[in-house]
Amino acid sequence: MPSAAPDRPANGMTKLTNCRLVRGDSLVWEDIWVSSTTGKILRSQATFYDELILPDNTIDLGGRIVSPGMIECQLNGAFGFNFSTLLDDMTQYPENVRHLNHQLIQTGVTSYIPTVTSQTADLYSQVLPYLGPSGKARRAEDGAESLGAHVEGPFLNPGKNGVHNKAVLCEASSLSDLEDMYGRSNITPDPSDPERPTSVKMITAAPELGQMTSLIPALVDRGLVFSIGHSEATYEEASAAVAAGATMITHLFNAMRPLHHRNPGIFGVLGVAASSLPGFPPRPYFGIIADGIHLHPTTIKIAWNAHPDGFILVTDAMHMAGLPDGTYPWTNGQEEHFITKKGAVLLLEGSDTIAGSSITLIDCVNNFLKWSGATIPQALRAVTCTPAAMLGVQGTKGVLDFGADADLVIFSEAEERNNDSAHGEGMSSKLVVDEVWKFGTKVYSRCEKGKDGIL
Amino acid sequence: MRLIIRDDAAEASSYVANYIIDRIKHFNPSPASPFVLGLPTGSSPLGVYRILVEKYKAGVISFENVVTFNMDEYIGLPRDHPESYHSFMWKHFFSHVNIHPNNVHILNGNAANLEAECVEYEAKIKAAGGIDLFLAGIGEDGHIAFNEPGSSLASRTRVKTLAYDTILVNSRFFNNDLEQVPKMALTVGVQTVLEAREVVAIILGARKALALQRCIEQGVNHMWTLSSLQLHPHPMIVCDEDATLELQVKTVKYFKSIEQVALAQGFEQILPSKIRTGNGRAVAPQAITIDQVQSPTILAPQPTTSRLLRPVTPAAEYPVRSVSPDLIPDRMASRLPDPERFVRRLTPNPEQQQQALEEHQERKPKENGVQNGVHPAAFVSSMPHVSSVPSAARVRAVGA
Repeated sequence: MPSAAPDRPANGMTKLTNCRLVRGDSLVWEDIWVSSTTGKILRSQATFYDELILPDNTIDLGGRIVSPGMIECQLNGAFGFNFSTLLDDMTQYPENVRHLNHQLIQTGVTSYIPTVTSQTADLYSQVLPYLGPSGKARRAEDGAESLGAHVEGPFLNPGKNGVHNKAVLCEASSLSDLEDMYGRSNITPDPSDPERPTSVKMITAAPELGQMTSLIPALVDRGLVFSIGHSEATYEEASAAVAAGATMITHLFNAMRPLHHRNPGIFGVLGVAASSLPGFPPRPYFGIIADGIHLHPTTIKIAWNAHPDGFILVTDAMHMAGLPDGTYPWTNGQEEHFITKKGAVLLLEGSDTIAGSSITLIDCVNNFLKWSGATIPQALRAVTCTPAAMLGVQGTKGVLDFGADADLVIFSEAEERNNDSAHGEGMSSKLVVDEVWKFGTKVYSRCEKGKDGIL
Repeated sequence: MRLIIRDDAAEASSYVANYIIDRIKHFNPSPASPFVLGLPTGSSPLGVYRILVEKYKAGVISFENVVTFNMDEYIGLPRDHPESYHSFMWKHFFSHVNIHPNNVHILNGNAANLEAECVEYEAKIKAAGGIDLFLAGIGEDGHIAFNEPGSSLASRTRVKTLAYDTILVNSRFFNNDLEQVPKMALTVGVQTVLEAREVVAIILGARKALALQRCIEQGVNHMWTLSSLQLHPHPMIVCDEDATLELQVKTVKYFKSIEQVALAQGFEQILPSKIRTGNGRAVAPQAITIDQVQSPTILAPQPTTSRLLRPVTPAAEYPVRSVSPDLIPDRMASRLPDPERFVRRLTPNPEQQQQALEEHQERKPKENGVQNGVHPAAFVSSMPHVSSVPSAARVRAVGA
């Protein structure tokens, strides 16, 4: 039903109608207006009465779901490209990032924080400048947008290194240790240009090592998110980190002490009722890998029930994500390894060590829907609104409110029979990414795929 | 006045919506000659808007060449406040159809100069060629727009202070906090509504029954401003059964029968063709010549109030209706070929009339033996427009 008369000048506005918007914990039948000029969600009523214009296009979505674009908080690489890589010709690095961004957005991930594993200072200084926030130009054709890099290590506990290279792990005793490691400009705002964000948005570290806990307030002051991870922290140490300003836990349960009834460890901080302790900081957000390998579905359900408002689904995907099964080389710093991909399972060749995952974020959402009995808005919240709040971009990303960035995913629902008796039988909904919109422009459509899938 | 009664609110809303759609379609609006629609807010028209939106989405109707004027708006309430009438119209109608914002007019309750805003609004209505159809709802006190009891029936668009009752009723939309309820509003006047070429009011629910009764069965009264519709040449009220609770059974039956007969004859609201098609707007008004009919025919139907209050108004401004003289009872005797024979009967004389009737009864088996058993008088009395004839004359006419 294109309604605008042809003689009116184009205004870049699109009205999506006959759709259900993800608003809070419900799906509401409402129209949404987006502008490709401003890249934002329009206050439609004000546009109508003030600007006296109608959208160029009206798109009938036939009752499908419109969700904020998904936000990925743990992505090591994908589509054959690993962020923690030094290339012979580093000018090719941004080209690879751009390619990844184009591919990634087709999975419904419109924003993410590229994750760099434990590496040397040399690598950080070379790759981090390419991984900083990339959305300033607000160009839809740039694909998925980086909200800043996530440095996972190297200030990790060697006892919980996972597949991180133990040789590069170290401790920090002062802020300059951090600056020396990541490069001063990557974690410290330039005093002459305080508006320019730092390349690094989030640091995962073990708070119990060195002076890390005491460094947290300074990092938080710089607008960084401190995340507890790869840590042997006890409940007391984790609580101290939270009190110091840690607001996130990197892949909860994985690479940390398990919950013990006499010392609940890091997981224990989710059990603190914030309201009971005045002045106590709110409970941290936490990442959950819902690939069916890293965590048992019931564990996921327990974590969700413990603190639903902090629950963030992440993939921890490696560069093999999106590639066929097989054995792939993996350069971890200077060391050459091979990782065997079989389905979504990634194992370090010749071992049982899980080497990240290769799942997509929407598959995590669908798994969670299947296992938890959560509603669709609740599940999508874990990849939209909650990560946006964790990263401090609430109101701009992860919501469909007026003035927010018009990053959208249009989902259709498929009913899926769930035969797994352990997780409850019956039908559950499965979301399928039909369309992806970035800054008010449609950049991917499942049904009308063009060259490279990009419209 | 036409009163359309439907079983429930849904059917009444459906009737109104379809009527509006039908009118717009017949009008065949164009950018040069758009259909001008007056619109209300409130709970009564919600169903109408819902159906209009459905029909638009089904491709039955387009609002591209429809110009709208809303009745009223609160003063001082932010335009995008959820309870503003801008928001109401946006939420329930404008956001769902293809109406162009340039064609939408709603009074600005935040204008710097409210008086100028009102004058300008009237000018805009005039510039748009006047309102073709004004849809209206009413309050429990029979108010139309914000023209509450006591409003002048000659009023125009203006600032109005809300009645305390209205503020109380509206407080449910403002967290039941009287302080938050706007105390004043801008509203079109009664006269503004009456100058529309057609007015359609939708009245739903038992709460509105008394108001409907006052407006239909009682006289024109400024305490029930909707009653001013009695002065309009083409008013129509559509209501549900609940709203008729206070009406007399005979009133309800009368209007229902009228509708049945009209339907059987294949027409609904009798609108002059020029109003229906919208082609008349550009045509220069023709001089009207009237036959020598001595009858109070409506030559140029216009609200009586406007004739009384503004005698200088050119009649041509109003749509012209075809001449259909009302039936005027006259002396039946004057129609007879040999009046001398009946001269004595010019004075009503019960004895002689009775005698004539008896003669008639005696003749009947001989002359009308093959006819059915319906008494001629019964047939005549079922024709409402003749019922104003004095009964004596009626009987005589039949007898003759």
